[in-house]
Amino acid sequence: MKKLIAGAILLGASTVTFAQPGCGVGAMIFKGQSGVAPHVLAATTNGTFGNQTFGMTSGTLGCNTNQSVQSMAMYMDSNVDKIARDMSRGEGENLDTLAVLLNIEPADRDTFRGLLQDNFASIFPSSETTSGEAVEAIVSLMEQNEALAKYVAA
Amino acid sequence: MRAPLCFALVLSGLAATTPTLATSELPLESIALERDWLNLGHYHADTLGSGFTSQADDNEFFLSPDGKHSPYAELVATLDAIQQPGTGDSHASCRFPARDQWLRQRLDLPDSQATCPAYQEWTDTLNTESVTLVFAASYLNSPSSMFGHTFIRLDPPSDDHTTDLLLANTISYAADAAAHDSEFLFAYKGIFGGYPGITTVQPYYEKIRLYSDIEHRDLWEYQLNLTPDEVDTMLAHAWEIQGRNFDYYFFDENCAYRLLAMIDIARPGTNLIDEVNTHAIPSDTVRWVVDKDLVANIHYRPSAATSISYSLDQLSEQQRTLAAAIAYGYVKVDGPELAQLEPQQRSSVLDATYDYIRYQSEADSWPREFAAPLSHQILVARSQIEQTDVPPTPPAPEIRDDQGHDTFRMSLSGGRWDDRNFAQLTLRPAYHDLLDPPEGYRQGAELEFLRLDLRYYTDNDELQLEHITGVSIRSLSPRNPFFSPLSWQVGFGGRRTDTGTERVLAPYLEGGAGGSWNLTSSLQAFAMATADLEVDDDFRRGYDAAPGADLGLLHQSRYASVLAGIKTKAWIVSSQHRQDQAYLNGNLHFGRSVSLFAEFTREHHYDRYRNLWQVGLHAYF
Repeated sequence: MKKLIAGAILLGASTVTFAQPGCGVGAMIFKGQSGVAPHVLAATTNGTFGNQTFGMTSGTLGCNTNQSVQSMAMYMDSNVDKIARDMSRGEGENLDTLAVLLNIEPADRDTFRGLLQDNFASIFPSSETTSGEAVEAIVSLMEQNEALAKYVAA
Repeated sequence: MRAPLCFALVLSGLAATTPTLATSELPLESIALERDWLNLGHYHADTLGSGFTSQADDNEFFLSPDGKHSPYAELVATLDAIQQPGTGDSHASCRFPARDQWLRQRLDLPDSQATCPAYQEWTDTLNTESVTLVFAASYLNSPSSMFGHTFIRLDPPSDDHTTDLLLANTISYAADAAAHDSEFLFAYKGIFGGYPGITTVQPYYEKIRLYSDIEHRDLWEYQLNLTPDEVDTMLAHAWEIQGRNFDYYFFDENCAYRLLAMIDIARPGTNLIDEVNTHAIPSDTVRWVVDKDLVANIHYRPSAATSISYSLDQLSEQQRTLAAAIAYGYVKVDGPELAQLEPQQRSSVLDATYDYIRYQSEADSWPREFAAPLSHQILVARSQIEQTDVPPTPPAPEIRDDQGHDTFRMSLSGGRWDDRNFAQLTLRPAYHDLLDPPEGYRQGAELEFLRLDLRYYTDNDELQLEHITGVSIRSLSPRNPFFSPLSWQVGFGGRRTDTGTERVLAPYLEGGAGGSWNLTSSLQAFAMATADLEVDDDFRRGYDAAPGADLGLLHQSRYASVLAGIKTKAWIVSSQHRQDQAYLNGNLHFGRSVSLFAEFTREHHYDRYRNLWQVGLHAYF
């Protein structure tokens, strides 16, 4: 019951006015869909997997990365356990969302899904991998891939 | 109460039937009483008197100091403000785009000259093509969500590859409860007022996380058939009310109610608000939306709990045992037991096991030191199996929540208590009990509010209040090797109680906790430890209390529901004796609007046996 009440409070707390932290306010805006998207104020869950410690302010990605990568990083941060699950299966709606955030054309999505599934162990080398580290690993895997490199170009 | 409401209806009816009248000649006084303007200001006819009051409890929402009570003053002030020269976000046309749009159209005024960068940016980023009403199924374990919850999702255009519904925004209206409020205070303030209600915008994935992952509630998505103009109007009004306070009341001015008001504004003439009388149960509000042909299509999103139960059910007995053994650490992920399975079976077991661990971490707080490394091993193993089918998704229930029986029930019955015959009338405003037609409701869940049982004894022409239920909640959740929920019950009200010499109406409080187990998919056995408290000055000490037990069987199906068992209570304070009961209740369902019910109870109390027989009809409205 406590959790629900906490949830109700969050609904109240996370109104639409956010001080967008870190660099590039635009980066917070999921492409064309959610300038008002609240970020990591998510109802806290006991994530089974992945460390949700990627901070937008400390910004492991720095400020020079492209906006879609930033958006993807934000989404990863609050959904890392579901994304990891979809990655290991090579499909799922959270993986699709990642592809949308990265602006990946439908034709390249199979390659994207395959790449992440094949390299799951290097994206998440341990259960303590942070979502920021996972994002970096994904970006560098995509950079080395002929079809996908263009989506992560800075 | 009825009169002012009818008055308002007549007015709006007049307005609708006289569109040919030159609008600019209509005095503003009567335009201010038109339905659309009243909706935009959330005005309602006062219960007493002929005035109006807005449900908005926020000065920022009004341009006139008298705006809270005067639709006319507010209209004049708005009309004046939107015609002022000037531009920018603080201009009235930008603060109240829906009012601006309506007034200009109604009065044939030229378009506003003001540009509104903030509002423009807001609508651009919301990028909404259609609107979906989302219903989160009822959830007994939370006082604010027992009847379900509704919110609106703003869907982006569906024609390009950048569309993603998880990222779509949602608008919801909820009580803004203080963190330190206890659950009792929460319930009290929710019912009698005291919480501000706030409209918020959040991405859909946050909602899924809350409802589907944390609270394990299925979501139903009803895509509305609003036109682009109607969608724009809804957004314009959402802009006007976001961040504005509307005091929150659980029963009427709740989440569902505010959304109905928004739909009424988006599509004038819909008048969903008229359907609300004393309370707005979210599942009922969905019914009205469906009845008014506002729904284009419906999509079911099972909760994490529904999905995991389903994928476990799809495994063979042996695979299920293996999944449990892995989840609890008895079998290693890289051990021979898994390695010997075919890739497809191996992936099914790994998928189910991961989802189960994730569920348990959420629901049962499995320690992270244990769950995280194990989850990681499972996912690494799973990623090495390619090209297998992903877990099957649970099919949508045949009967949706909004298709379940109506929530108001009236019952007529005849019966015999000991040697006295009686006729009984029962009224129950909400919502569902264990024996009602189960389709569209949670299995083993009961939630009743303000039920009234009136008995007329024929032998001496006596009318008696037999039972008044304040609240009665029962949650029988079956346990199995994977899930071990607690079953519980709580209730209070007033009921006839036997003092040994007479039956007096005594306030009572009762509760219980225990377990329940499925014997078949529609039959469960339960065992509860109970506690009862009754207060009456006919008791020697003024009150009495009893620990007790309740053992029974519950069968629920679309054709019939049966509840049978034995109950015992040991009254220990005022009189020291036992009250033992054997009971058998059965309902035969004729569709979901009428049930035939019968009850037999045999009771041993104060050294004598007594029988209760009762047969009657339930009708659901």
